[in-house]
Amino acid sequence: MTMLKIENLHVRVAGKEILKGLSLEVKPGEVHAIMGPNGAGKSTLGYVLAGRDGYETTQGRIEYDGKNLLDLEPEARAAAGMFLAFQYPVEIPGVNNTYFLKAALNAQRKARGESELDSMQFLKLVREKLAVLHLKEDLLNRAVNAGFSGGEKKRNEIFQMALLEPRLAILDETDSGLDIDALKMVADGVNAMRAPDRAFVVITHYQRLLDYIVPDFVHVLADGRIVESGDASLALRLEEHGYAWIAQRKLAGAA
Amino acid sequence: MDGLLDEFGSGDAQARAESWRYSRQALRALEQQSFQSADANVSVPQALIDRFDWPQTRGHRLVFVNGVLDATLSDAGTSGAIIETDAVGVHALRFAGKGVMHLVFVNVATAMPSRWNAAVHIRVESGKAFLVEQHVGMQGADMLGALASDFTIADGASLQTATLGDLPGSASLVRRVGVTIGAGSAFGATHALCGGRFQRFDIDAQLTGAKAQLAARGVFALRGREHVDVHLDVRHAARDTISDVLWRGVADGRARGILHGAITVAPGADGADARLETKNLLLSPHAEIDAQPVLEIYADEVKASHGATVGQLDERALFYLRSRGVPLAAARNLLIAGFCRTAFSRIETTDLRGPFEALLDAHLPQQVDAGE
Repeated sequence: MTMLKIENLHVRVAGKEILKGLSLEVKPGEVHAIMGPNGAGKSTLGYVLAGRDGYETTQGRIEYDGKNLLDLEPEARAAAGMFLAFQYPVEIPGVNNTYFLKAALNAQRKARGESELDSMQFLKLVREKLAVLHLKEDLLNRAVNAGFSGGEKKRNEIFQMALLEPRLAILDETDSGLDIDALKMVADGVNAMRAPDRAFVVITHYQRLLDYIVPDFVHVLADGRIVESGDASLALRLEEHGYAWIAQRKLAGAA
Repeated sequence: MDGLLDEFGSGDAQARAESWRYSRQALRALEQQSFQSADANVSVPQALIDRFDWPQTRGHRLVFVNGVLDATLSDAGTSGAIIETDAVGVHALRFAGKGVMHLVFVNVATAMPSRWNAAVHIRVESGKAFLVEQHVGMQGADMLGALASDFTIADGASLQTATLGDLPGSASLVRRVGVTIGAGSAFGATHALCGGRFQRFDIDAQLTGAKAQLAARGVFALRGREHVDVHLDVRHAARDTISDVLWRGVADGRARGILHGAITVAPGADGADARLETKNLLLSPHAEIDAQPVLEIYADEVKASHGATVGQLDERALFYLRSRGVPLAAARNLLIAGFCRTAFSRIETTDLRGPFEALLDAHLPQQVDAGE
């Protein structure tokens, strides 16, 4: 039973082909790590899955729960359980965090035909999730990400994920810019959510995060496609040899 | 025939023409109508009363109906103000110590297009006074109101104002206020201007005493064919004075907004600190906002900054909200309202933020895609 099936995906951004035949299958309960050098197309993959405008699929397909994901608007993908933790969370001055999150959660629930939460139910849920991420409640009364430190923004992403309880979470370089304490908090938040019916795609440049979020599969993304897949030990070998090692192996294979 | 321009403009012919150049057409259209003097002896519909009868300002309220003070609707017994009216109908309000006043200007349409004039002067002798100025009205025959005010803030005193311009499409308002801010005193103003056929707001502020401070905030949120023209003129005339202006503008449809923000630092006003920031959002290709920051500095050791932007909704922010499940239209509204609300951050009492946010929510400009 596959949750996400990407086949031979080609994506063009601003006239330039970034993904060049990427294929990936994710089943419920699995944690997949996508590693790769800068410019390989890692963030593009996250944005395409979440439905950002300007990412044009020229070939291939993406199935999510057996449906064509590319037919869905971003909000419909969210309601269907998709979540992208942004590499660069957007600051939105003037929009209150609590108001935004309640609007988001209730819009998702409504789209799924579930009852909306009232303010009391929502606040109770929020307090539970804040505790897990070691976030202070005053964060709720601030504008979305406005004036947050880099670490606060990343923890806020994971907090949103905890609150929205997606079925497929894509974490785009959530580890970048985090110190070791913040990294552990983020990893704790993710590990607490690992479940048989939930899958994660963890996009990262460094192996460090994978010490704390141990993946079932590791894929190396280079030049727009997945060039190597393996278990968690692949990340360790990458860390030891660097991405140049993959390029050399590819050359050797080609010869 | 420059009747209304002569009446509402100030300075010589050239200065008037320049100051009104974006609103000359709107004024001409008004000039072509024949307005009669508004009848103040009208009954105010309950629906209109409900819009200003806030529990928190009962006993602190003066209500003007078509420009004339209405004794039945007014009750300012606990406002802390001494109220006097002179022979020509100019109202003078004096505050010493703590005071709160809610001034309401109600436009009740009559059978014919009509117009009113009112003058209210405010003097804060000492302590801190808080003033809410609210303009409301009902749709009907055209109405043109003109309100002239002088605010004088004595040395060491403070006046904080909150202005809500909430007018129906048949009402126009020309409001001029001159503010004199004494040594060590503070003037704060927050505006939310919505609706109306035409609204013109002139604030002419003079920082006349050392360490005088001004903070002006505001937003115009315009829909359809609404037209709001705001002129802020701030003059630093003493040492170590501070001015801080922040304005937000949003327009949809064929609406028109103008923010002219001029800051002058006079010779000798050394140590002045002046900031002016305006950000504007255009939601339709036919909407227009003109943001004109003007800075003139004739003193030394002055800190001054200004910035003006006009742009569209942030695509990244929109995608961020949608990726969390907020539908497109709701995400746009959230961003538009949030953009405007950054102008309300100085409103100190939270029970006053309510009316501001409610006004904004009821008049929120909309972005509609072509073909929708």
